[in-house]
Amino acid sequence: MARTRTTKKLAQRIDLNYFKRSTPLKRAKLWLSLLVPVLAILWIFWYAFHKDARVYSSGRMSAPHAVLETQCAACHIQKASGFSAKVQNQACLSCHDGPIHHASQVSTPDCATCHTEHRGRINIAAPSEKSCTGCHANLRTTGAASRYSQHVRDLADGHPEFAVIRENRRDPSTIKLNHALHLKPIRRGPTGPIVQLDCADCHRPAAAKNSWSYADASYAANSPTSETVKTSASNGDALPPHNPPTGRELMAPVTFANVCASCHLLSFDKRFSEGVPHDKPEVIHAFLKKKFQNYAAAHPSELRSARDPDRDLTGKPLTPRIQTLTAAQWVAIRTSDAEQLLWRKTCLQCHKLSFDRNGSLPHVQQAAASSDTALPHVVEANVTTRWMPHAKFNHEAHGGFTCVSCHEKALRSSDSSNVLLPGIKTCQTCHASGPDYAESRCFECHTYHDWSKRKEITPTFSFPPLETGGL
Amino acid sequence: MRIDSTQRTWAIASAVIFAVSLSAYIVYAHNSIQGARGGSAIGLAFGVLGFAFMLFAALLGARKRAPVWRLGRAQAWMRGHLWLGALSLPIILFHGGFHFGGTLTRVLMWLLIFTVFSGLFGAVLQHYIPRVMTADVPLETIYDEIGNVRNLLLEEADRAMEGLCGAIGGSKTSEEEIQRAGGFTAMRPMAAPTKGSAAVAPAAEILLLSEEESSPLRHFYFNEVRPFLERPAEHRLLVSDLHRSQLGFSGLRTLLPEGARATVDDLEDVCEEARQLKKQQRLYRWLHLWLLVHIPISLALIVLGAVHAVMALKY
Amino acid sequence: MATVSSPTGLINITIDGRAVSVAPGTSVFDAARISGIPIPTLCHLQNETPVGVCRLCVVDTGARVLTASCVRPVEPGMKVETQSGKVLAARKTLLELLMADHPSPCARQQKSGDCELETLAKSAGIEQSRFAKRTVARGLDDSSLAIAVDHDACILCDRCIRGCDEIKNNFVLGRMGKGYSTGIAFDLNAPMGNSTCISCGECMVSCPTGALTNKGVAGTSIAASEDGYTFQAEELLRIPVFKGVSGTFLELNRGAIVKRRYRKGEVICREGEFGSTAFYLVEGAAKVSISSPIAHVKTHGGAKGFFKRLTSTLVDRREDVREEETRDRTIPIDASVDLSYGNPVASLGPGDLFGEMTCLNFYPRSATVRAESDVVAYEMLRNVLDIMMKNKTFRAQIDANYRERALENHLRGVPMFADLSPDFIDHLKQSVELQRFAPGEVIARQGDPADSFYLIRIGFVKISENYPGGAMVLAYLSRGDYFGEIGLLGGGVRTAMCTALDHVEVVRIAGDDFRQMVERFPAVRKGLEAVADERRLANEQRLKTVDSVPLDQFLSQGLMEAQSLLVLDLQKCTRCDACVNACADAHDGVTRLVRDGLRFEQYLIATSCRQCRDPLCMVGCPVGSIRRRNSLEVIIEDWCIGCGLCARNCPYGNINLHPFQVMNEDPDHPGRTKAVVKQKATSCDLCTNLAEPSCVYACPHDAAHRVDPKKFFADAIGQLPTY
Repeated sequence: MARTRTTKKLAQRIDLNYFKRSTPLKRAKLWLSLLVPVLAILWIFWYAFHKDARVYSSGRMSAPHAVLETQCAACHIQKASGFSAKVQNQACLSCHDGPIHHASQVSTPDCATCHTEHRGRINIAAPSEKSCTGCHANLRTTGAASRYSQHVRDLADGHPEFAVIRENRRDPSTIKLNHALHLKPIRRGPTGPIVQLDCADCHRPAAAKNSWSYADASYAANSPTSETVKTSASNGDALPPHNPPTGRELMAPVTFANVCASCHLLSFDKRFSEGVPHDKPEVIHAFLKKKFQNYAAAHPSELRSARDPDRDLTGKPLTPRIQTLTAAQWVAIRTSDAEQLLWRKTCLQCHKLSFDRNGSLPHVQQAAASSDTALPHVVEANVTTRWMPHAKFNHEAHGGFTCVSCHEKALRSSDSSNVLLPGIKTCQTCHASGPDYAESRCFECHTYHDWSKRKEITPTFSFPPLETGGL
Repeated sequence: MRIDSTQRTWAIASAVIFAVSLSAYIVYAHNSIQGARGGSAIGLAFGVLGFAFMLFAALLGARKRAPVWRLGRAQAWMRGHLWLGALSLPIILFHGGFHFGGTLTRVLMWLLIFTVFSGLFGAVLQHYIPRVMTADVPLETIYDEIGNVRNLLLEEADRAMEGLCGAIGGSKTSEEEIQRAGGFTAMRPMAAPTKGSAAVAPAAEILLLSEEESSPLRHFYFNEVRPFLERPAEHRLLVSDLHRSQLGFSGLRTLLPEGARATVDDLEDVCEEARQLKKQQRLYRWLHLWLLVHIPISLALIVLGAVHAVMALKY
Repeated sequence: MATVSSPTGLINITIDGRAVSVAPGTSVFDAARISGIPIPTLCHLQNETPVGVCRLCVVDTGARVLTASCVRPVEPGMKVETQSGKVLAARKTLLELLMADHPSPCARQQKSGDCELETLAKSAGIEQSRFAKRTVARGLDDSSLAIAVDHDACILCDRCIRGCDEIKNNFVLGRMGKGYSTGIAFDLNAPMGNSTCISCGECMVSCPTGALTNKGVAGTSIAASEDGYTFQAEELLRIPVFKGVSGTFLELNRGAIVKRRYRKGEVICREGEFGSTAFYLVEGAAKVSISSPIAHVKTHGGAKGFFKRLTSTLVDRREDVREEETRDRTIPIDASVDLSYGNPVASLGPGDLFGEMTCLNFYPRSATVRAESDVVAYEMLRNVLDIMMKNKTFRAQIDANYRERALENHLRGVPMFADLSPDFIDHLKQSVELQRFAPGEVIARQGDPADSFYLIRIGFVKISENYPGGAMVLAYLSRGDYFGEIGLLGGGVRTAMCTALDHVEVVRIAGDDFRQMVERFPAVRKGLEAVADERRLANEQRLKTVDSVPLDQFLSQGLMEAQSLLVLDLQKCTRCDACVNACADAHDGVTRLVRDGLRFEQYLIATSCRQCRDPLCMVGCPVGSIRRRNSLEVIIEDWCIGCGLCARNCPYGNINLHPFQVMNEDPDHPGRTKAVVKQKATSCDLCTNLAEPSCVYACPHDAAHRVDPKKFFADAIGQLPTY
């Protein structure tokens, strides 16, 4: 009675409708297959019910727009015709102006092409490298060929050397300054025998508040009108900054009062301890005359002066031994002498002066006669405050470095016509792509929109009143 | 489904699709202004492709509901399901540029990852378990019918016992298989050799053991065999384990007269079959339970994916 | 020499001391019987010529030896002892000898307990014969439908022979053999069923033992309902067809024939039911029809809805025509008419016999017969039917009916014969011969000269071919099929063996007529030749496949028999049941495959039709709906009546009955329909109208395949160890 298995016996054990029977496994499969999608739908509906469209958002918005996260319709404007509510440029332009980049650009991309939202709390103003290289990697223009580099792929690839350096330009400034000399220990200084100047003793951002080591309060007090910084107009199309600078990005122009005065005394006569104001020759002339007149009045004895005994080395006719001058004469002579000193020496140390016609100083007598007309003209200082008019550079951000680690040329520059701007290579040592390097994307230095063409925008979108009701 | 050389075409095709997508993605991600985005033309194309793959994969379920429609062999669908379904993950990652995005897309991404990986897990199971099952469960039957078959085994064991020990009580006769055979048992056999219509072999030889002789057998039967046939989950019983079962039965044989051998052999055989059915149940569950994860979340994925598609096209 | 004689010339004798006077010539036996003295006997019967072979009636007449009283005439003054010790001892010995030969208890003793021999032996107190039992069996003859012959129980009393010859004058029975093998014989020792015996039952009535017994048919008698009327034997004898039948026999078979009256509209028999009776219409008309909708168990389409229904309506044939069926087939049924496929209704009139197949072969009813007017019919069991069919006049009438009404249809049912001209049909009607064959009888033998063409009327014919090393079944033919054309068209020699599987009736067209036919009608010739070629080719192919494959384990699962197997590669199969669902889907919610069965190597041989070379399932279908298509697959045609015989016959459990809900005419409310559950047999049809079986198509794992086992397992077969 061995158990035999035959096909027929085996088959007849099976209920022919077994596959229609519900089994726990099938039930579980069915119910789970219904339940889970239904839960999913309920989940979505829950959001829809609460009119919360955030769930569909492809990501959080940039910080400035964070308030818009629940206000989808602010940007995604549903038009009556058409299903898609893709953000149009108008949505952006209703709050922001986006001036064109270049008149000759081939095409103007949509705002969202560069400023991609829903990417988290990113800096939306910082577009990707490709936003720029998209055109600049292979630049084409509508008009004449661009004078910019045609193939910029990134900072390391194709970015040209800064124009000043590339073109080997000279600093057009007329101020004579030997950086190398100033950075060496200086024998004689106002505070002691050896002075070691630091860059920051002269170059500071405008907002810097700490006191100047080499300032002279007397100069600073009467801040001369001539020292107001006039931005260099050497490159005519320099753009005004869009964002108000904090005042720490750029080095403020060097002023005599703050920086030079302590060492470079503008002494004009041994009778006076103070110097002339650091101002135009006319002002100085007036100052001198006034000083001497006052002095003459106070010291009438000074009008009589004994000639140095028997010393005549020049062969010129000797003046009377004892000369008694009128006050006016005395003042004229003293003024002339002081001016001689200033025009011929003191000012020329740094400035370039131009003289009338023959270029020679007027004779003292003449000067006395026509003192007002014979003054020299100080040639415009023509200081270049920004060497890279198209790019931003933040000195403060680089505050961790010593100045000379970039501007090492300053140590060697004896001529003020040297441009001490470091080359792009210097930037590239830190700025490169990759996590090991500092940001190298375009927006770091450049800006796209030509803010000079900015228009005033009246926002059409206003936020709903806050729940606090303004309390 | 075995992953074997017959799938080479699909594997190559998938690899080609993957390679093309990958290179397209690399070129596109490299060149596009904002990096890879779902909304850009290529990103959208990836999204559509990925969703199409997912839909195709999900349609397998629908396809299985209409197996007769000549829509292509189920095998091709299955392979498509497997390969394209697996491909949908990288394609969708390309679609999103490896960003998970906002709430919905994040949920979708995780659903997709779970779906794909549960599917891969299932594919691995389906690759190996059938072989294990084939080797280890030679007496397998249809999973859904295991309960029924087990009842038949119980009945067969009861009959065998009755044949040997007389009425044992508590056994019920099953009319079921007679009805199942179409009710033709009353019919005269024609040319066909007469065979038992029921799956259970009738107790042919009647050899009655005396009460005393049969007591070890009865004891063993009622304390080991029957409980095991009735409650297969019981694992403390001797017969629930092959080795212990062998020991138990060989011990039993020594206590019984020669004539009882055949019945004891049958009982052992029945127990072996019941053990195999138990094993089959376990393997079968491995083979199919993963679907309980895979199917629901894939459906949720499709539903939410559609919502995402509509909403993404809108915004 | 009579000392005491009566005035009337009577002879006076003394029996057991009593004076008895009887007429001269009276046997002692009769004399004793007249005077109320019983003498036991076995071979003697009142109405038969005494032969004195059993010697049990011996008496002591005072002679040298005991004398057989049945053949011994009285003599005046005879003194007869019937109960003396000597006589009793002799009888006892005789009984013991006879009992030693007798398979006690014999069939009769078992059935009715009235075996004369055993009764006598019992009364004589014989428990155990002292003599050795016979060692040579004389055998059984079960060929007659009405009478069972057990030669072993025969005591050679000759009562049956005398009954057949003297009383009924049929001269069928006789003696044969010598010694231990002596026995009675029908004709020249033919099986009783094949002999000229007309089943009058006289022999059986005469037999004292269980050697000739009435074959009780299932239930023995037809339960007479209110309207039924059970005949008395005498009444039966008045019916012409029972003329010449033994009254006792009819008495024995009382209840095996019932006269029934049906009112108009009543159902006489219902298709698919099991039965054992045939009907003979006497009055009125009846409509025969197949009420099972002729509808495919749907094989195309798909999921109808999310939820699959358990049962379902079938698809009308018009919606689902199989491309193969271009001809208008007829449905063979169990009556003298065939039903046309398009309109399966026919009518029967007085003199028609139906239900023969059911009665003779116990096939289920093939059609529903409903009374069209008030009907009177005889319902009979097969012993009675046999008696009727053996009646020459009745037989002639039935045959004439057939020739007149059905033969033409039958011939035209064969597509090639559709073109025959009416005059030739008329000619055939007269010239064809109707032949009957008993189960197992050879109709045509391979190698014999081909002399005729056969058309099967009833039953199943097995066509097999002998080849060196065995026989191979080529086909099973059933009603409406024909055979013999290959021999006639070809070399004139039978190429195959044709054997009757059950009670077979064939229409035999003689070779001359056949040749005339094919000459006159070239279309017929062409068609026949095409079929013959096709068959020849198929046969050759099949024989080729047999070749010399070793018989081993492969065969034990019957895989060699199969032409096509559904195998599931278990190493790939995840048991997902997609195949089963696909099958159910393709076949309207019922699966035709069961994903269980035996394994061969790593393959599961799923339970689904194997398209066997020897399709046992096809044998016995009462309506011939299970058949082989030209492409050799076995299909179940749409007029299946759900009897389940094929399912029973299939050795592999591949055919199953499924309930289908169909709308049928409501008998209670004419004109309305009501839902009825009908069983239909279903078996894998290979999804014939689709390119590929749905199960294979739907397997997602490349596990299911329909394969030719010998090709598929070619390697495995070669590697199999030989046992």
